[in-house]
Amino acid sequence: MSHQLRLATEADLAAIMELENVSFGNDSWSRPTMRAELMAPHTTYLVAHQDEKIVGYAGLSKVASSSSADIQTISVRDSHRRAGIGRELMQMLIEQASKLSATEIYLEVREDKPAPRKLYEQLGFERIDRRENYYQPDGVAAIVMRLAISTTAKSEPVVLGIETSCDETGIGIVRGTTLLANVISSSMDQHARFGGVVPEIAARAHLEALEATLQKALQDAGITIKDIDAVAVTNGPGLAGALMVGVGAAKALAVAIDKPIYAVNHLVAHVAVDVLERGKLETPTVALLVSGGHTSLLLVRDLLNDVELLGETIDDAAGEAFDKIARVLGLSYPGGPEIDKVAKNGDAKAIRFPRGLTLPKDQEKHLYNFSFSGLKTAVARHVELAESKGEQVSIADVAASFREAVVDVLVTKAINACQDNGVPRLILGGGVIANSRLRDVAEARCQEAGIELRIPVLSLCTDNGAMIASLAAQKIMAGMEPSKLDFGVYSTLPV
Amino acid sequence: MTQVLLAIDTSAGTAVAVLVDGVVKSESYDANSMQHAEQIGIQIQKGLEAAKKKSAEVTVVAVGVGPGPFTGLRVGIAAAKMFAEGISAPLIGVGSLDAIVFAQSLIEPTLVLTDARRSEVFFGLYQGKTAAGVPKSLIGPGVKKQAELEAQLQTAGHNYLLANSQVSAANLGLLALAQLAEGTANTSVVANYLRAPDAVPSKGKKVSG
Repeated sequence: MSHQLRLATEADLAAIMELENVSFGNDSWSRPTMRAELMAPHTTYLVAHQDEKIVGYAGLSKVASSSSADIQTISVRDSHRRAGIGRELMQMLIEQASKLSATEIYLEVREDKPAPRKLYEQLGFERIDRRENYYQPDGVAAIVMRLAISTTAKSEPVVLGIETSCDETGIGIVRGTTLLANVISSSMDQHARFGGVVPEIAARAHLEALEATLQKALQDAGITIKDIDAVAVTNGPGLAGALMVGVGAAKALAVAIDKPIYAVNHLVAHVAVDVLERGKLETPTVALLVSGGHTSLLLVRDLLNDVELLGETIDDAAGEAFDKIARVLGLSYPGGPEIDKVAKNGDAKAIRFPRGLTLPKDQEKHLYNFSFSGLKTAVARHVELAESKGEQVSIADVAASFREAVVDVLVTKAINACQDNGVPRLILGGGVIANSRLRDVAEARCQEAGIELRIPVLSLCTDNGAMIASLAAQKIMAGMEPSKLDFGVYSTLPV
Repeated sequence: MTQVLLAIDTSAGTAVAVLVDGVVKSESYDANSMQHAEQIGIQIQKGLEAAKKKSAEVTVVAVGVGPGPFTGLRVGIAAAKMFAEGISAPLIGVGSLDAIVFAQSLIEPTLVLTDARRSEVFFGLYQGKTAAGVPKSLIGPGVKKQAELEAQLQTAGHNYLLANSQVSAANLGLLALAQLAEGTANTSVVANYLRAPDAVPSKGKKVSG
């Protein structure tokens, strides 16, 4: 379904030439020139293929005696534009140039082609020259661009990520797509007697946990603070006072070690953990993020440039609903694991609790939105009504039926989002993913629908600093600029 | 070795100063009490630039531990902690009210009041200084309604001057140096909130009537 990249071989020559002629017309290279390029020891040619079909190719030239490299050519089939193929080809060639110790990469681009120029600019290339009448016979000028590798793209940057958006102080360290450390200090126990996260308690706990969490992360990664190439931090969405602790800490750390800082969106970062497990994120993907603070459905076409919020909860987050119902049932905090445990002995069909925002009348405005407050009220009423009649309430049945209602809505809407958008995969994130029933139902229904399901390990599902570092590392490897030092925190930061 | 002290206080606005061998080389103050997270990184960076020092040259970090409105206060302490970690320098916590009265003579009893919100004030009453110049506290720091505090001080027979209440990072830095000199510097840096978090365990209420 989706495209993949690999090194080109001589066997690809015919397909490449076909695409070359379509793309460049009377400006095309000849077949012997292309063969020589493909076979030369100083070149690296990649092809992007979907199934067996070649949909793009690109080449890099780097002579051993020179410190500079050249992008020789790049082309993506018309029908496969806007899928990020050109960007991926460029990124891999930049990475290759970096591995070959090039310090700069040059390319020429037609002056009359704004789209590729924009891509190159996003990747960090800068215009350095213009050559009149370069492309013949059209007489179009070439813009010469240069990327200085040492200052922008780095093949495997060591990034330290700080996450303080809710009740977990997370500091993680990655090297490129490799996880080096993921340390989490949770203030969950301090919130237990309040039945939910108290923002002021969370913020105080972050401040107290900072130093020890940082030291442990460095120790786990086996590096010193001098090895860090960049600092990343969540600047939203989340609890404002809690976010500010992380942002203040991250900014001062970045200034202290004189390294760039990247402000990162918490929700998008939840999706970015997949690159730590699989090396890259397969796109497009739908992401279902479910925690005590969020219930969101994202459509990710490109991790760095194209993430769309399809829907989110309009009242309680799913995790919050678990906490509140746990209290109604006399179970302890956090409610998710407790309800999960009790529900194992219950009948999920015993009580038909409402599925929020699933009625036809809700579909226009709330196709992918969630609502759990009505469900919460229905469960509480059920329990209170039974108690007032002096009836015995089966906590196991109520827990199982409640859990079923939550899971049913989450998975149904996530799969609808995949199918409606023609997306063949779903990734889960957030602490509620620990719920066994959610995992089981998601697995079964995804299999039924032919959707690939990704569930990261739990330590990467819950809020953590590694996901923040991972997303920033992706930005760095794509040559994206760091954040300016004056960014703020945004409790409702859009994706 | 040159001593370079970075001083930070966010108990009210955002205040940063750099002192080189006890001399104030740069000082900045942004009075906006809602911009700490935005301001802190830039002010530290610019403060060091103005003092012509690199971050790696900083030898000690001092931070105001409050009291002050919590959300802003934490930004400065978090920044100071991580800056100190980043360059492996010692960190000293200084009372923000102590820093405010540091520049006063303190011959007379002197009261300092800062905004604690919710119609209350953070307060401290000081008189006299140690040989090194560290203010001596008579009462506080504490938090109260201003009228209650005034009545209490009157009953106890205290006459006092009212100090200007703006904290200066330069004075905070000088006070930290005085505390270092006399061996009273506080290296265990904990925010001095003076109030417990506002949260009461919910009893749980009935949903149906």
